[in-house]
Amino acid sequence: MIDSLPSAIDLPPWLQAVAARAGERVLPKLAVRGLDFHYGDAHALKRIDLDIPEKQVTAIIGPSGCGKSTLLRVFNRIYAIYQGLRAEGEVLLDGENILDARYSLNRLRGQVGMVFQKPVPFPMTIFENVAWGIRHHEKLSKAGMSGRVEQALRRAALWDEVKDKLKRSALSLSGGQQQRLCIARAIALAPEVLLLDEPTSALDPIATAKIEQLIEELKGDYTLVIVTHNMQQAARVSDRTAFMYLGEMVECDATEKIFTSPAKKQTEDYITGRFG
Amino acid sequence: MESAIYLRRRAANGLALGLSVCATVLGLLFLAWILWVTLQQGIGAIDWKLFTKITAYGAEGGLANAIVGSLVMDVMALAICAPIGVAAGTFLAEYANRTKLGATIRFLNDILLSAPSIVLGLFVYVIVVLPMSKLTGGAVSFSGFAGAVALALIGLPVIVRTTDEMLQLVPGTLREAALSLGVPQWKLTVQVLMRAATSGIVTGVLLALARLAGETAPLLFTAFGNNFMTAHPFDKMESLPVAIYQYTNDPNPALHAIAWAGALLITLFVLGLSLATRLFLRRHRSPND
Repeated sequence: MIDSLPSAIDLPPWLQAVAARAGERVLPKLAVRGLDFHYGDAHALKRIDLDIPEKQVTAIIGPSGCGKSTLLRVFNRIYAIYQGLRAEGEVLLDGENILDARYSLNRLRGQVGMVFQKPVPFPMTIFENVAWGIRHHEKLSKAGMSGRVEQALRRAALWDEVKDKLKRSALSLSGGQQQRLCIARAIALAPEVLLLDEPTSALDPIATAKIEQLIEELKGDYTLVIVTHNMQQAARVSDRTAFMYLGEMVECDATEKIFTSPAKKQTEDYITGRFG
Repeated sequence: MESAIYLRRRAANGLALGLSVCATVLGLLFLAWILWVTLQQGIGAIDWKLFTKITAYGAEGGLANAIVGSLVMDVMALAICAPIGVAAGTFLAEYANRTKLGATIRFLNDILLSAPSIVLGLFVYVIVVLPMSKLTGGAVSFSGFAGAVALALIGLPVIVRTTDEMLQLVPGTLREAALSLGVPQWKLTVQVLMRAATSGIVTGVLLALARLAGETAPLLFTAFGNNFMTAHPFDKMESLPVAIYQYTNDPNPALHAIAWAGALLITLFVLGLSLATRLFLRRHRSPND
């Protein structure tokens, strides 16, 4: 009988403490704990808590200005290049707080890659676009570098389209190809987490479909976090979905649950298009 | 009622359009006039001896030493101001953007940009010509080098400003994308941003060259002038603008003709530079623009 099974409340206090500690040990890949973020005087993120499990796709949705991109930009501390922005609280990557000033940016950005809203190829050749980042982190032989670049381009499903024109300018590629090049550039550093900030909002439906398929393929190897305005996209590609509103984390759960029976009224209103 | 409003708007539109067309025509008219007169007066005096004989022969001579002097000083000036200007502009855009220091430097640079060139000439006279004369016991006083320094001060603020502005035009997303790979700021600046802004920076340098190639005032107290051929940087040096200035002050009409030819040469040089800039930009424009 279900009624007769002991629940957590029924455990003696000492056992509860042990259970809690055991729970702590299996931390998610990325754990956000009590995160506050300020743009000068504006309080953009309010005590955010969020777990991002390893090798899954977590989508962050919410209306414009809700703080979803801001949250993503905390994960690799890219916000730190601007003055007057500060993050307080903890973001634990494999249990280590990346907001700690002692956590090296070099190491963090090698582990957490990012792809932006608009494709931003560097003004170099296609090959160099991928090799440039690798060269900063590793010394490779010429053959080693070629292999790595090919591997990254293959992984980003771009190799067949560019293998004959690696020496051409990356600016000659189409928007969708440029965005896949940006993904190749990011995964070439062998990151553990890949952040995608509205990666398809500047692309046409066919290029979007290719990126979404790529996300599906990448999740076996990487932990992916995607910010998107497109709720269908969140539903299609993600395992878990987090809904944010006005700088707060409203709820985060399995994607299916969020889109079929969300726990909060706000979430339901948003996904059914009543606001936002 | 409505048609009255419509008529009034049409009239206002016609008036504004008419005035702006007049202003454009007026501006272009004078430009065309200047070019026409320069061409008409100068073309007759352009001959072989203009390029082979020196100013020492006066009306029987040419401008060979002035052409060489101008080239030497312009190249030296550019060699001084281009690296400093590009570096300073990069500092402003990438390291001091939106800081008080950056705003102050930009303000001072704008003052230098509009400083009267004769003042820059006097300044270089005091800080280069006089000390050099003292140091060498009068052996070196006015020199092509001093002239180049004065010209560099004319070109410097132009290069600082264009470099600064061109780097600021590079989208911030490119910075974020490069930094998110863990690459340090200096690598980003040199290998990505400068490359993205190359055409703009080159334009700035060529603009500066066009500007300083036509300057007379800064050279009067620095390079002084020289009726004989020299390419030695520590000799007094002739230049096209100074030769034009001297010949137009002379009563001899034969010298006036040579001065017109010199003016035409400078005009063609600047025109050529502008065309080269445009060609360069067209070739290096990214397909994204």
